[in-house]
Amino acid sequence: MFLSNLIGFTCSWTPEASLNKVLLFAGDPKADLAYERQYEQQTYHVIPEVIKNFLQYFHKTISDLIDQKVYELQSNRVSSESIEQKIYEIQDVYENSWNKLTDRFFKTSPWPEAEGIASLVGNDAVFLILYKELYYRHIYAKVSMHQLYDNMWLKPAPFPPQFQSFSQYRCKTAKKSEEEIEFLRNNPKIWNVHSVLNVLHSLVDKSNINRQLEVYTSGGDPESVAGEYGRHSLYKMLGYFSLVGLLRLHSLLGDYYQAIKVLENIELNKKSMYSRVPECQITTYYYVGFAYLMMRRYQDAIRVFANILLYIQRTRNMFQRSTYKYEMINKQNEQMHGLLAIALTMYPMRIDESIHTQLREKYGDKMLRMQKGDLQVFEELFSFACPKFLSPVVPNYDNVHPNYHKEPFQQQLKVFAEEVQQQAQLSTIRSFLKLYTTMPVAKLAGFLDMSEQEFRIQLLVFKHKMKNLVWTSGISALDGEFQSASEVDFYIDKDMIHIADTKVARRYGDFFIRQIHKFEEVSRFTKFKTAVEL
Amino acid sequence: MASTFEQMRANVGKLLRGIDRYNPENLTTLERYVETQARENAYDLEANLAVLKLYQFNPAYFQTTVTSQVLLKALTNLPHTDFTLCKCMIDQTHQEERPIRQILYLGNLLETCHFQSFWTSLEENRELIDGITGFEDSVRKYTQLKVWLNKFGWTENEDGQIFVYNQEESIKPKNIVEKIDFESVSSIMATSQ
Repeated sequence: MFLSNLIGFTCSWTPEASLNKVLLFAGDPKADLAYERQYEQQTYHVIPEVIKNFLQYFHKTISDLIDQKVYELQSNRVSSESIEQKIYEIQDVYENSWNKLTDRFFKTSPWPEAEGIASLVGNDAVFLILYKELYYRHIYAKVSMHQLYDNMWLKPAPFPPQFQSFSQYRCKTAKKSEEEIEFLRNNPKIWNVHSVLNVLHSLVDKSNINRQLEVYTSGGDPESVAGEYGRHSLYKMLGYFSLVGLLRLHSLLGDYYQAIKVLENIELNKKSMYSRVPECQITTYYYVGFAYLMMRRYQDAIRVFANILLYIQRTRNMFQRSTYKYEMINKQNEQMHGLLAIALTMYPMRIDESIHTQLREKYGDKMLRMQKGDLQVFEELFSFACPKFLSPVVPNYDNVHPNYHKEPFQQQLKVFAEEVQQQAQLSTIRSFLKLYTTMPVAKLAGFLDMSEQEFRIQLLVFKHKMKNLVWTSGISALDGEFQSASEVDFYIDKDMIHIADTKVARRYGDFFIRQIHKFEEVSRFTKFKTAVEL
Repeated sequence: MASTFEQMRANVGKLLRGIDRYNPENLTTLERYVETQARENAYDLEANLAVLKLYQFNPAYFQTTVTSQVLLKALTNLPHTDFTLCKCMIDQTHQEERPIRQILYLGNLLETCHFQSFWTSLEENRELIDGITGFEDSVRKYTQLKVWLNKFGWTENEDGQIFVYNQEESIKPKNIVEKIDFESVSSIMATSQ
């Protein structure tokens, strides 16, 4: 089975034929099954001329748009406005044409299958993927054109979400009908992990993206190693976005090491043509930050979250509020604030003042409770902010208990909760340490209501947990050195503990600069208002 | 003469590239590789995680002995968080089986620095570490280092070298004075024209 999967993918770009017949984009799988059975008889065998013309025109326009976008990204031009404009125009045209044609020809049946129209569009694999998206969306009567462009980067990435919702659906067996269970049992290939991995790895391999990135970051010319497909900018981008897809998939399966490893040729902090797709940047940083958090690399997690939250703050105005994109970014923004709150509680350190203020506004109360060791708050925040974990395995339908689909989440939560518990005393100890410079160990133990022996053990735990692996240089985000930049440090000499506190002078300058800007805005606005009213 | 580990390492490296790492037919090789690490006191985190992942994808192939070895080897790499990474990839049911449960308990003792309890517990379960060469030495190195570091304020870098500094210099209050950069001020200067 494995080998046939592999052969299938190396020979063609599209996911195996069996997938085409069943499901599988977004929406309710139950409806898919019902639909499939109902409309099997009505597929078109002869494609109307007007449809053929439409598809060819459609294909050409999309290709032109993609080429231009890629050209702009490569030549460092930030003209997203004109692209947005173009998309809007196309959106308009197709919303009309597509809907009219659907009404006329495909009111009660699906559009022609992708295989049927492939020759019309020169077997352009990428267009076919986009077409299939529309094909299935039509099935749910949800044709939304503006996602066409988004799909360029979302295409590899959504495999995880659709796979995700299918995987969770598959596990919620308690509510299934006999029929559905039988169907699922007979078709284990539906969205199995291998398929998704195969597609992502294929895209990565065909585009030779890793080799290209290696050369790119060492200042060379990626074209020299791109290969036949990789040279085409589109495949390059697909390769890159597939790496992000792999980052997501591994994180969802709890393999944080591999999640970060797949990005080893991508320098996260460096601006590149790839980092110009905001949703991609944000998603990448979310998963990288989360992986660092689970690996107990708090300092790296904090740095990553603070960076991207600042980025979102600055680019917020660029997004239209009503889009699906905006909602997704908003959600991840909230989640990352939650994760940052957790990380800062475990590992207090200085971060950008504006982010810190935002954080205190949203989570000040929760952070106080976490510092006091309230495990429940930790778990609630974790549940809200964590990714939707998956199981890679098909359940045994005969013998499943109702909460099977929650198990992957429970597993990750357990590891997290254990870590929190191991560090339960550290916050309190830290706050006491900050109060003194020198003291007998026994006395401090007494203040903390602990035996001296237990206190000494906790001090060891403190040193142990505060020592993080921290990225300092090099391209791979996995690299790092052990560092301890805790706000408070100490050593023990026989019976005395000697404590050092890292004092920070209040950042007045920052505060004043911000206030001055605010006043400037206000005064400009009132001048404008006054002028209008006169 | 190169050790078996060295000989296997290159081969395993190739297996782990690309889609091949998900091929269950490679499990036997990878399992033998774990065994070799245990015997020859060597370590390869990435390969070991790959084994756990294959078990995740193919539960029928799950082996308690190999998983136990992977966990024990992870402990020898403290203070790295390899042990935590492994826990994230072993499902609940298996975590409750013997001897995995015992090993997780020992791991917890080490993470919470309850070293005395750890050694006592280990004594009572010596058979757990059968075949893991150098287990006790590695753990001892970690525990004693922790205690020394506390006492003398020494630090250790990646290669295991220990730097001894003058304590007064290394651990003392730092006053971080604020620096305002020109950029932030320039924007204000512009608006006040």
